Amino acid sequence: MKIFKSLGSGAQRAFKSWKGVLIIWLISLLLVSLFVIPMKGILRTGFGSSTITETLRSGINIDVISDLEQYFSSLISYLSSGFFLLIFLGILINSFLAGGLFSSLKKSSGRLSTPEFFRTSARFFWYFLGMYLMIALIIIVFAFLIVGLPVGLTVKPDTGAGTITYIIGIISVSIFSIVEVILLLVADYARAWLVSAEKPAFFKALGFGFSETFRHFGSSFPMMLIIMVLIVLFGWMAAKIIGIWKPGTGGGVFLLFVVSQILFFIKVLLKAWRYGSVTSLMETNKSEVPSDPSVGTS
Amino acid sequence: MKNKVIPFFILLVAALPLNSQVINRESLSSRITGYTFDVKLDTAARMVKGTLEASWVNFTSEEVPDIMLHMYMNAFKSRNSTMYRESGGSPGRRAVDRGWIDIISFTDRNGNDFMPLAQYISPDDENPGDSTVLRVILPETAKPGDTVFINVEFETKLPSRIRRTGFTGDFYFVAQWFPKFGVYEPAGMRDRPQSGWNCHQFHANSEFYSNHSVYDVKITVPKDYVVGTGGMLINETVPDAEGNKTLTFRAEDIVDFAWTAWPGYAVYTDKWEHVNITLLLSEARAKQVDRQFAAVKNALEYLTENVGPFPWPHLTFVDPPTIGSGAGGMEYTTLFTSMSADIMPEFLHLPEMVTVHEFGHAYFMGILATNEFEEPWMDEGINSFWEARIVDHYWGENSGLIDHPLLKIADKSYSRLSYVRSDNKQLVSNNEYSWNYPRGTYGMISYYKAATWLYTLMGIVGEETTNEIFREYYRRWAFKHPSGKDFIEVVNDVVTKTYGDKFGPDMNWFFDQVLYGTGICDYKAASFRNIKLPSKIKSQENDSIPENTAADDSLYKAVIQMQRLGEVMLPVDVLVHFENGDEILENWDGKDRYKEFTFYGHGKIEWFKIDPEYKIRMDINFINNSMTSDPDRVPIRRIADKLISFMQFYISAITL
Repeated sequence: MKIFKSLGSGAQRAFKSWKGVLIIWLISLLLVSLFVIPMKGILRTGFGSSTITETLRSGINIDVISDLEQYFSSLISYLSSGFFLLIFLGILINSFLAGGLFSSLKKSSGRLSTPEFFRTSARFFWYFLGMYLMIALIIIVFAFLIVGLPVGLTVKPDTGAGTITYIIGIISVSIFSIVEVILLLVADYARAWLVSAEKPAFFKALGFGFSETFRHFGSSFPMMLIIMVLIVLFGWMAAKIIGIWKPGTGGGVFLLFVVSQILFFIKVLLKAWRYGSVTSLMETNKSEVPSDPSVGTS
Repeated sequence: MKNKVIPFFILLVAALPLNSQVINRESLSSRITGYTFDVKLDTAARMVKGTLEASWVNFTSEEVPDIMLHMYMNAFKSRNSTMYRESGGSPGRRAVDRGWIDIISFTDRNGNDFMPLAQYISPDDENPGDSTVLRVILPETAKPGDTVFINVEFETKLPSRIRRTGFTGDFYFVAQWFPKFGVYEPAGMRDRPQSGWNCHQFHANSEFYSNHSVYDVKITVPKDYVVGTGGMLINETVPDAEGNKTLTFRAEDIVDFAWTAWPGYAVYTDKWEHVNITLLLSEARAKQVDRQFAAVKNALEYLTENVGPFPWPHLTFVDPPTIGSGAGGMEYTTLFTSMSADIMPEFLHLPEMVTVHEFGHAYFMGILATNEFEEPWMDEGINSFWEARIVDHYWGENSGLIDHPLLKIADKSYSRLSYVRSDNKQLVSNNEYSWNYPRGTYGMISYYKAATWLYTLMGIVGEETTNEIFREYYRRWAFKHPSGKDFIEVVNDVVTKTYGDKFGPDMNWFFDQVLYGTGICDYKAASFRNIKLPSKIKSQENDSIPENTAADDSLYKAVIQMQRLGEVMLPVDVLVHFENGDEILENWDGKDRYKEFTFYGHGKIEWFKIDPEYKIRMDINFINNSMTSDPDRVPIRRIADKLISFMQFYISAITL
């Protein structure tokens, strides 16, 4: 069966590209740490040599956190401004690294060395950034049309949100989730095509993404749905583990750090699996339709 | 609500005068005022129309020349009313948006017309645009023991935008809807220098001060409407030819009568000891019925045990539907409204909190009928204190309000933060008339500062003594009108009876600072030092050092330094922990700006804490209350590590 063959092949390719996954994990850790470490410093300064941090052992204590007062306001302004900078950098860096990762997932690729990984990342950076912005824009528009508009229309100014709003909200979010999976599929096909094309072209890639998605919808969508459900379940499980775990010792905190980073590494690996599976399916589809002149090897 | 016909009660109500008893065997309050209504809800005109027979008894020893009536629905008449001037809002542009009360006829029992003798006055602000207080010069002064009877035919137009009262669609919440007597206070009552009516205008922040009364109320509504009131249902007729039904209610010893009508209500009943509880809410919230009943029963149990009995055998509460959410969170003693949403997560205890709070008003304002206009802290502040105690007691000491694995918030923390984190906490004292609070300070000071200093009082005198204070307050003042000074007198009596002069001859020093003052409380652990003593100095400086402490690690003079940064001076415990495991609990009267304690023979200090159990909840900064040589950084590292992970996952998710 094509779906499971592609899923298996995608997994093999993801493991083969472990170096790329490692690079993405490491750069992500460095990026976020640059943001969090100064915040940690603000907290340390705020708490000074107080014993009150012991009350935080069982979780967030709102009495204590709010008493940071002057540090709290600088913390909030740092978090809010730093957050947007972090998101901006995160988008740029991930768009950059996704090019390298997609390249390393092609069947024709051998094991990419680190310099080769970065070289291909640089080559496809603008295409991938453009693709990200385009698909993200489409997702936002669909979110507004499918969720925002119907839900907004059921909220009456004098009565607020009622049962109808909640029912429509649940239905529209469910529909939007399906649309989002389809759009991710489009993005993945387009990016897989870009790194395979002899002459990469942005709109040609986007067109290919849409046409490939709907031409092979019967195999592409179920495969993507399986992957996304697993990724979401994994994300939920990881959030539960990290959220609920409250180590009380230095060793415990270090263990939490290690476990959470392993979980994030697996998350990146799952993403690579998704990219690899879509790439594999595209290559299978291509072999079934030999007369597609637009697809070639780079 | 089932169709009930109880002929016995009909006869009883019809036959007996206002001061007779139907609900309770004994009268709980002096029968100063009483009201009998026969009204109809006109759903087309959005009006309540009907008649009122009411009486006021001059129980004082002096002649009274006039009467004063609240006409509170007129607050919704125009944007010039005092309520809208204070709140900055407006009743709306359309006529249907506005609310008012029109008197069609106004006579005494003998038919003498009172209309020419009536005049709107504005005793609080002289606002000519306000018509919420009506004064009537009596043709003859009311002599001691006289009863003034009034017969009023009136129409009350309900406002469309529910702000405590009004309608939306076919939902009605009818409050402040009839002419109601003010309170005549003789000189000396509530420290009043001269006798007179206490009848304030309707304000943005306050509306309650009335005598406990008897209400006999006939309400006619379309047959499909479900009605809830603060009274006990005595009779319900079968629908007439026009499709209307009439319900008769009786209420005793309550300070106000409100009611609600909506065809969409589902009716649930439950019982707690002697109290029959009725809950009205929309079917969409049927899943929350158990939560609501648990909340009200917990509040009944806690307040009965720690304050006094709930004397009525009936209680109705309402969770207004989304269309009527403006009626949420209001209190009319034996009728109150909660607040929720159609979907309410289990971890968020908002409905429980509002239910407990509004029920609590049955005690603090209902039974202990304080003046919300003049001393709002006695109403909202004391009630918020009890709300927090009840909510945290039953739903978690650290998670009363929010109980989620990632975030827990206690109700008492919410109160404290609302006060200590406010930039305006020193603008005004807790002892102001409700309309004198600068914008944005009323809720913070009246509710949360008061609740926080009551917690602080409990921290100083102990939980059981606090409960005893409120039991005594109830014993002395139930069904009367206590003032702030009356409450303080109770505190002084109970505390001195329990502790003697441990806290001084009285507790006025406490109230002078927290109630009448604007100061803040902030104690700071400034520093500590461990000075190694040469053995010679050791023996010279302190002969009391036991010989068995002569080990090397005990040859220290250990000193802690503390500062009082705020103006408020409260006694605090100071716990000092030494490296050898010794702990010493000292008490500092908290009066000096700077204080040192010196210790010999215990080795080096590892840490010390001012107010180690965080009893002084007025302290605006708990972080600076302690100091250690080895701060625990583990929680900070844990927070940072979790944040790193969550940010990584988040960025990975949004970057497709």
